[in-house]
Amino acid sequence: MSDVLTVLPELILAVGAMGLLMIGVFSGDKSYGLLKWLASGLFAVAFLVMIGSGAEQKLAFGGMFVTDAFALFMKSVVLTGAVFALGLSGQFMRERGIARFEYPVLVVLAVLGMMMMVSANDMLALYIGLELQSLALYVLAAFNRDKLRSTEAGLKYFVLGALSSGMMLYGISLIYGFTGSTSFAEIAAYGIGSGTNGLGLLFGLVFLISGFAFKVSAVPFHMWAPDVYEGAPTPITVFFGTAPKVAAMALFVRALIVSFPDLTQQWQQVVVFLSVASMILGAFAGLMQTNIKRLMAYSSIAHMGFALAGLATGTVDGVQGVLVYMAIYMLMTAGTFAVILGMRRKDGLTEDISDLAGLAKTRPALAAIMATLMFSLAGIPLLAGFFAKLYVFMAVVEAGMYWLAVVGFVTSTVAAVYYLRIVKLMYFDEPNENIEPLKDRGIAYVGFVTAALNSPLHLLLIWPLTLAAGLAAQSLF
Amino acid sequence: MVEWLAGLYGGTDAAWFFSIITWILVIVAPLLVGVAFAVYADRKIWAAMQLRRGPNVVGPFGLLQSFADGLKLFIKETIVPAGANKGIFILAPMLTFVLALIGWAVIPWGEGAVLADINVGIFYIFAISSLGVYGIIMAGWASNSRYAFLGGLRSAAQMVSYEVSMGFVLVTVISYAGSPSLSELVHMQSGGIWNWNFLWFFPMFVIFLISAMAETNRPPFDLPEAEAELVAGYQVEYSSMAFALFWLGEYGNILLMCALSSVLFFGGWYAPIPALDFIPGPLWMIAKICFFFFIFAWVKATVPRYRYDQLMRLGWKVFLPVSLAAVVFYTGWGVAFGYIGK
Amino acid sequence: MSLTALAFYLFASITVFSGFMVIASKNPVHSVLFLILAFFNASGLFLLLGAEFLAMLLIIIYVGAVAVLFLFVVMMLDINYTEMREGFLQYLPIGALIGLIVLVELIMVVGVWQVAPEIIGTPAVAAAPDLTNTEALGAVLYTQYIYAFQAAGIVLLIAMIGAIVLTLRTREGVKRQNISQQNRRTPQTAIEIKKVKVGEGL
Repeated sequence: MSDVLTVLPELILAVGAMGLLMIGVFSGDKSYGLLKWLASGLFAVAFLVMIGSGAEQKLAFGGMFVTDAFALFMKSVVLTGAVFALGLSGQFMRERGIARFEYPVLVVLAVLGMMMMVSANDMLALYIGLELQSLALYVLAAFNRDKLRSTEAGLKYFVLGALSSGMMLYGISLIYGFTGSTSFAEIAAYGIGSGTNGLGLLFGLVFLISGFAFKVSAVPFHMWAPDVYEGAPTPITVFFGTAPKVAAMALFVRALIVSFPDLTQQWQQVVVFLSVASMILGAFAGLMQTNIKRLMAYSSIAHMGFALAGLATGTVDGVQGVLVYMAIYMLMTAGTFAVILGMRRKDGLTEDISDLAGLAKTRPALAAIMATLMFSLAGIPLLAGFFAKLYVFMAVVEAGMYWLAVVGFVTSTVAAVYYLRIVKLMYFDEPNENIEPLKDRGIAYVGFVTAALNSPLHLLLIWPLTLAAGLAAQSLF
Repeated sequence: MVEWLAGLYGGTDAAWFFSIITWILVIVAPLLVGVAFAVYADRKIWAAMQLRRGPNVVGPFGLLQSFADGLKLFIKETIVPAGANKGIFILAPMLTFVLALIGWAVIPWGEGAVLADINVGIFYIFAISSLGVYGIIMAGWASNSRYAFLGGLRSAAQMVSYEVSMGFVLVTVISYAGSPSLSELVHMQSGGIWNWNFLWFFPMFVIFLISAMAETNRPPFDLPEAEAELVAGYQVEYSSMAFALFWLGEYGNILLMCALSSVLFFGGWYAPIPALDFIPGPLWMIAKICFFFFIFAWVKATVPRYRYDQLMRLGWKVFLPVSLAAVVFYTGWGVAFGYIGK
Repeated sequence: MSLTALAFYLFASITVFSGFMVIASKNPVHSVLFLILAFFNASGLFLLLGAEFLAMLLIIIYVGAVAVLFLFVVMMLDINYTEMREGFLQYLPIGALIGLIVLVELIMVVGVWQVAPEIIGTPAVAAAPDLTNTEALGAVLYTQYIYAFQAAGIVLLIAMIGAIVLTLRTREGVKRQNISQQNRRTPQTAIEIKKVKVGEGL
């Protein structure tokens, strides 16, 4: 019974998703709006139940599942991201005729998978949670099945995702083979392995990390991100950019910190490589983009690099940095995509950056929101994005990895170019009267809320956030 | 049974081997003769229901008709079409025939009278019957003919669909028996006809019987070979002995399904009233197989062929939900009232 | 050599051979058939291990259902073999390089594999000899691994929803059978009786 209570939030989502499915099946696609609200309601209920059951560490199902402060923090971020994504998917989905009832159901199931990932305390639970999430995401990417780009995105994501799952499974089987267990705790107890067995364990670890790197789209496993971001319907891209990244990062952190504490030296090298490569590629490849969704994909790759820098330290402060970073990253991404969904010309939505020219004169509110978010993404002081980077790089410097911090500073300066270029375009270029007024209230709400949270107003909230992240990070060590 | 004969032979490894071979012969030889008569009976029943006389020329009452047909096929030339995929074309009928025979290894004929009393007997039969689809699909593909290919595809889809509900029926019965061994399934029905499963699992019995007809491509589900639209489906390019093997395999499978129905729902080797138990079990089994075969023939003679979409509808939209609900109902009932998990 | 050993070498060698033929066959249908043969022999190996339940499930699920659908699809695909082979030489060097790297890695990993000395010589037996392995599997699957089991069920549910979302189309102009409507038909709604005069027709 206590096992069931521990997984109550997940259980609510699972049973709720089936309930939503039933409503959808019997009342058809016209229930889309209702199901969206009900799905958000489910997230809220799951969130409240989660908060209500507290942050102390609880194990369930023979240690396969764990809830602790870390899980609580990451699940909250995931749920918030999912609510934003649902909030942004009104008008867009209807206009394209893909407002189908399966969408909210799949989002709920994907979030269920993410929550299972965050709480996984066993390689088996990890893998199943990951597949649950990925399978739902593959379908979502191809949701606009009559559009070539959407199906291409779905197929690409599926093929590459299956490849990465394969690598991860191979890694897991090696780890199981050499340690004799799939449980994180027992793998940790096995330590670095006696003599030559350590080598096999290390191989397994590297394959496992490759799988994680794919899911967070870190270089060199990033190639799916731009195509999938561009091809998938934009509200679904919002979802892709926020919740799954957070969940995958949570999994990444927990698996490495909890099950391989003795191998820190070894995995550090790999994570540092991933981090540096992602930061550099994200910053430089983003410079050439003209499509704003692709730009956001490269931006997300760069941000994952920054977050991984925090993990690379392997310290409590580093993990705290990762948590703060992921929370703020989620807000920035959701907000930016809200603005992207608001970029509407007479002939429909546009994804061209040049259409933003002179937005400040025609749509000042939208421009202000976008500018705030761009400054925040670039990491300009006093905005939330700055503090995110600050915490990570403080941890990196404390851990004595100075050159990693230097690479971070340089690449964030380079990346700032493309964020600031958009601000320049909006405020200093001649308006071309392209963008129509907003009609969807969801976009306005999400844009406003995220911009407000990223503006200097966040200084009121950053203290509780870091405090919570600190507690969450502490719970892993 | 095997031990007993091996003991007679001297108990060595070789004795075991020969004991098994002997028993295989004891089962297979009468079975093949039985198949010949089953075909005859099928035609006779069919004819009687249509007020015809059926085969009546070869031998007394036409009894030797099947043997005459067999001989005719045997002495004809085997034709392999030029465009056929030769290896697979020849392999397909052999596979069908072999699979129809090996299922009989686990059918219990009496107390302990079974060639292999393995404790996953029912899964074994299920596995064998699900393999049966390969004979047909391989034949359909290798013939390199459109009719044959269509027949093969139909058959594959049909058998996969009906296996699902059949599996649920088996699960229900197994959960009450507490073991997937066929002998155990018969033991749970001891003590007369009121203990037989068909009374207590009547909906499952009906689903099973209909699914068995679909599994064996019997009318009204003989779409793979529907002569009106596909000529003879997957068999279109086959002649002589290869055709005969399909034919033997098909009837072997039907008899196997009859035997399985007797074991699962009609008390296997037990007599309907305990007082009649002095009559040996194998005779009861044969009587019950004949009874089920009569039902199969009866259905063939009276029910018109289903259309393909109706067949799929019946399998997926009627049998699947009903059998799934029945699994939940029966197992719930069994657990609640202590029939399961004693 | 005992009968079991003979059976083992038979099953094992056919498994390996058909596994090789899966990738070596030129005709994809042959590949699938060899795959099925490999599954079949693998289930024979399971039997020799005493895992009869798994052996039967392997045949029922993989051979009886999954591979049939696989074969179904492969047979219907119109594959152009020459076109498939065109890119082969172009990608050969990089493919060979990656293959070589993986091979070296595998050798390194297997090379350091140390089998715990106490395991050698102990045969794989069921943990509780008085349980059949159906019971033994059920006992852990529904207790210890219930979480993974249920989650796997949800994975399948998603797969089902996904398949329907991506492929189900309601086509226009298709006549569908409505059985209740058919059953509701009465002579009054279905037939019309007309008096026909003798010798005149309608």
